[in-house]
Amino acid sequence: MTEKKLTIALAGNANVGKSVIFNQLTGLHQHIGNWPGKTVEKAEGTLHFKGYTIDIIDLPGIYSLSTFSIEELVSREYIAVERPDLVINIVDASVLERNMFFTLQLMELGTPMIMALNQIDMAEKKGIRIDHEKLQKILGMPVVPTVAIKGTGVYELLERSVEIIEKGGINPPVIKYGEEVEERIREITKLIEKIPFRYPARWATIKLLEGDEQVEKEIREIGPKILLTAERLAKEIEEIHGHSCSTIITSERYEAAGRIARKVQQIVPKIRPPMSETLHTITTHKILGYPIMVLAVLAIFQSIFTFGNYTSELLSNLFYGWKPLFESLLGTGIVGKLIWGGIVEGIIASVTVALPYIAPFYFTLYLLEDSGYLSRIAFLMDTLMHKIGLHGKAFIPVMLGYGCNVPACLGCRIMETERERLLAAFVTTLIPCAARTVIILGLVGAFVGIQWALALYIIDLLVIFLLGRLAFKALPGEPTALIMEMHDYRVPHLKTVGKQTWFRLEEFIKISFPLIIVGSLLIKLMEILNLLEPIADILSPVTVTWLGLPAITGITLIFGVLRKELTLIMLATLLGTTDFALVLTPLQMIIFTLVAMLYIPCIATIAALVKEFGWKKALFITVFEIIFAIFVGGITLRLLPLFLG
Amino acid sequence: MERQRGIKKVELPLTALRDGESGIVTSVGEGPGRGYERGRGGWGFKKRLMDMGLTPGTRVTVIKSAPFRGPLEVSVRGSRLALGRGMAERIFVEITK
Repeated sequence: MTEKKLTIALAGNANVGKSVIFNQLTGLHQHIGNWPGKTVEKAEGTLHFKGYTIDIIDLPGIYSLSTFSIEELVSREYIAVERPDLVINIVDASVLERNMFFTLQLMELGTPMIMALNQIDMAEKKGIRIDHEKLQKILGMPVVPTVAIKGTGVYELLERSVEIIEKGGINPPVIKYGEEVEERIREITKLIEKIPFRYPARWATIKLLEGDEQVEKEIREIGPKILLTAERLAKEIEEIHGHSCSTIITSERYEAAGRIARKVQQIVPKIRPPMSETLHTITTHKILGYPIMVLAVLAIFQSIFTFGNYTSELLSNLFYGWKPLFESLLGTGIVGKLIWGGIVEGIIASVTVALPYIAPFYFTLYLLEDSGYLSRIAFLMDTLMHKIGLHGKAFIPVMLGYGCNVPACLGCRIMETERERLLAAFVTTLIPCAARTVIILGLVGAFVGIQWALALYIIDLLVIFLLGRLAFKALPGEPTALIMEMHDYRVPHLKTVGKQTWFRLEEFIKISFPLIIVGSLLIKLMEILNLLEPIADILSPVTVTWLGLPAITGITLIFGVLRKELTLIMLATLLGTTDFALVLTPLQMIIFTLVAMLYIPCIATIAALVKEFGWKKALFITVFEIIFAIFVGGITLRLLPLFLG
Repeated sequence: MERQRGIKKVELPLTALRDGESGIVTSVGEGPGRGYERGRGGWGFKKRLMDMGLTPGTRVTVIKSAPFRGPLEVSVRGSRLALGRGMAERIFVEITK
């Protein structure tokens, strides 16, 4: 017997435990990709239940079905056009009113749906009790209370879902607007019903009255007259109320959501504020919040780097231990050299960076995000980030950048507009990643003095600030302000955090591994063909004349494109010593590190930039940063001795 | 929507409220960006505020504001929002005294 196929989509606000429910439902059978042609993530998973193969789609967490973000567009198109068999609306029980606002919009889309009333335990701790049976009656759909992180109610959710699909859907009541609005909705709905339109008529009508660009555009093509009628009627509504039609519809929808919420919830006075409240008050405190944040971030960085250094060395020693064995098998001829030096070393390089640094970085950040602390950091950092035209949320990719610029560039997706994504990505490519930290500490820190290493970090921050500000002024468009929900602190769900880490890591591996390996192979080939020295000679006007460095450093800077810490390793190999003090003056070390720190991050970051913004912008950033690094290096060479006397 | 009953009303931007004070939203300004960036800078962000629950007639409470002209933490419709100052300046509220 072949199993029947079903598709169920999960929809709801951000941070309501949607991905936890997704994980509880699908376990290991997951696949993360992108929505076709969009930089929006699509998480899919399958499960088998009562003779059905059920495909679960985890839609992005959103607050509305307007056109504010790509996520909203993707979600509503999916629900209205692809028509899943059922939508499970996941709702945070402790913020029922706002969540219900989204529920009402889903109901307007006319999709078969049920509701998961999640985090009921947290709601109860806050003193909110919800009569889910009453809610069920009002909404005309099953409402299942769940505690996703414990798995409570998830089975029932599935049972009820299948039940509803077998029954052929639900009959939710129409949520009515005020009569003066409703009258006009009826008029337009009648017109839309006559034309072939891919969205439900009543929903499309409401969107037209709200001034939804996309629906307007689509209607214009098939029924331009309807658009005129809608505009006229919208104006009439505006005249009655004195607010824009979009405002009126949104308010009325919220009023309805609030009415329902008040009917079903009972607020019990709390005896004392729950722990999460106290934690929130302290971590966002006007004075205390900042030192706590600095300490927390430093502690995280410190432990990740300690762990990373240790593991990286361990892995590296392990791999390099195989070298003799490898050489005895393939010899030390050209082929052997190419395979070892190109492919194997490329893989080693990728693994020794990806696993020890990037995996814990992702894990910690997701842990912080899931618990709610990241949004508090964004709140505290908002003022500072505004100086470079970004808002507080941009601090999240910036933090990621200290681990590796590749995930940081991809992490810029959390910004709302294209302009901000680009600006944030540009800034993150200047953040000294783990590899650059290796150079700063390994060369300047070890041979010139730790105060100089610190000075370089400060210079880097100044550069980021200045360039960020310049880019902010140069890019057209208005900076956007922060609008962000700060959900209650909660215990993160480790399995979900682990999964998210794994998927991110996978994405990182897919982007960077092939490039690092191909790049290593190419450079190895150049080395074997003795092309490196001529190239170093060609570069000597820059390296020797302008930067005052030995010609050989030109080669190392080329290698640095693969991954930054190679510049240091190569320097040792080419100079024939790890005691850099013998071959370089302190000034040369500072200049070298400065240039290595500032010029393009690495090939993998460039690839990430291409992926997110197209090759033109990626190329521009790359070329700009190379020129800028060389410029700053040369200037410093000439200015620094003057300061030192 | 609530109407005042002959009591003196004061209309202020949300940023003028002290910590712990609350008011009723009267209007949300479009701000710059309308025209060349419709759906993004101006209109889109007004819609976003509405979608987050800051519709006219709603009670909003300023919990606290971050120092150095930082964002505001507000409580609206039972949820906690962080609003950038630029955004909060465009939200007008009425406080009854």
